Amino acid sequence: MSDKIIFHIDVNSAFLSWHQAYYRQIGRDENLLEDYYAIGGNEKKRHGIVLAKSIPAKKMGVKTGQSLMEARQICPKLKVIPPRYDVYVKASKKLRELLMSYTPLVEVFSIDECFMDMSGTSIIQKSVEKGAFFLKEKVKKEFGYTVNIGISNCKLLAKQASEFEKPDKVHTLFPEEVPHKLWPLPVEELFMVGNKTKIKLQRIGIETIEQLASCETSLLETLMKSHGRLIQQYAKGIDDSIFVKKEGLPFKGIGNGSTIAFDVIDQETARHILLSLVETASARLREANLVCNVVSVGIKSSEFLNFGKQRKLSFFTDVTQTLYQEAIQLFSEIWDGKPIRHFSVRFSNLEWSYRKQIHWFNSQIDYKMEALDPVIDRIRDKYGTYSVMRGCYVHSGLEPLLGGYPDDDYPDMSSLL
Amino acid sequence: MKLLNHPIEMIAVFDIDGKITPAKFRYEDKVVRVEKIIKRQKEKLAGNERWVFTCMHQQNYLYELKYEIDTQKWFLFKK
Repeated sequence: MSDKIIFHIDVNSAFLSWHQAYYRQIGRDENLLEDYYAIGGNEKKRHGIVLAKSIPAKKMGVKTGQSLMEARQICPKLKVIPPRYDVYVKASKKLRELLMSYTPLVEVFSIDECFMDMSGTSIIQKSVEKGAFFLKEKVKKEFGYTVNIGISNCKLLAKQASEFEKPDKVHTLFPEEVPHKLWPLPVEELFMVGNKTKIKLQRIGIETIEQLASCETSLLETLMKSHGRLIQQYAKGIDDSIFVKKEGLPFKGIGNGSTIAFDVIDQETARHILLSLVETASARLREANLVCNVVSVGIKSSEFLNFGKQRKLSFFTDVTQTLYQEAIQLFSEIWDGKPIRHFSVRFSNLEWSYRKQIHWFNSQIDYKMEALDPVIDRIRDKYGTYSVMRGCYVHSGLEPLLGGYPDDDYPDMSSLL
Repeated sequence: MKLLNHPIEMIAVFDIDGKITPAKFRYEDKVVRVEKIIKRQKEKLAGNERWVFTCMHQQNYLYELKYEIDTQKWFLFKK
């Protein structure tokens, strides 16, 4: 393990950098990174949150995940640009391709982060740091944006290293450097320590990573169970995760959500809306040749409170009817009768449909439904989306197929090393 | 030169080695013949590949054409 060289590549302010590079290409000269800019949802529809922000906007207190209205209150000069996912996905893909030309072992961690196993590659033969600098400059020259590179011999430390100082920097964090580089930092800088964990740790007087590393393990275990043990290992710089080259499923989950034009107060309308969401989402599932076994339902009340629940099924399915039954079951468990403005459903824990396990307790109806769905999909594909629709939507004023705005996860996003 | 990034209709030559040479294009209802290509280079900003041609018109005007590989569109980028 210790003789490995791992790079962690992190695109600095990814969405904004990519947008900036894109703007440069199409000849717009706004400087997104040095003015008050944020990438956020569709402004015209007045919904959406801040997805990314420039450094000046960050200094004013704009945070990722804030609603655009909040952000504007904090920073009145903020200019919001709608996201261009196609640009970002392409940029991310091309970056990956470039990295793959230096080592075949590239692990995608998220849309803007990658791990590379550089052990034994030619560009680090003379000096590891020089190799990293070369790579960083190469990206800057070729793609027009900057990255941070963290170097270590395991993924965790490489990731921590790339977080040190931004932008456009190369940092090393080898195990022997952990005590003076990592330990003095506040505990929330550590990977897997979020807001909740931070509060728990502060309650027992842990403020820095060093304190966490030297804390009694049993104390952390009583407080946070296995997560406590994990973060202490991380604080010590121990990470024995292996390098996985992911191949496989194109999505982590398929979801669909919609804000309804009015507040929904009765069970029947709610069911119809859920059905219309399930219809589109399950059609996408089938189109991608996937089956799922976790169904989740989320609702947002008119007071902006969120409720959600998910359930793991004992089988994998892509059948609209089955998924709908499950969705309304979950819905009835979370709904307290208050007006609802937003519904969402999502299917996760996916598997390829050709690998599907045959279910013991399937009834005749289930098999018929399973055969029916692809037929309906094909009809809709050939004769238009509204060529066949369920009777319950006739004169109901409701959309028979809701959503369609892709709400899918990026394929390789994960918080696990 | 002024930035335009204006999509244009183009007639170009794609030779057997895959080299692209713009020949003539239509801009504001005028047909412009590409007289001389001074520089050709590939740019990959944000991973989007485009061929950039710096061309000369009537021996004193410089302008830039871009060909976007993914979308197969031509742009009059600068004139």
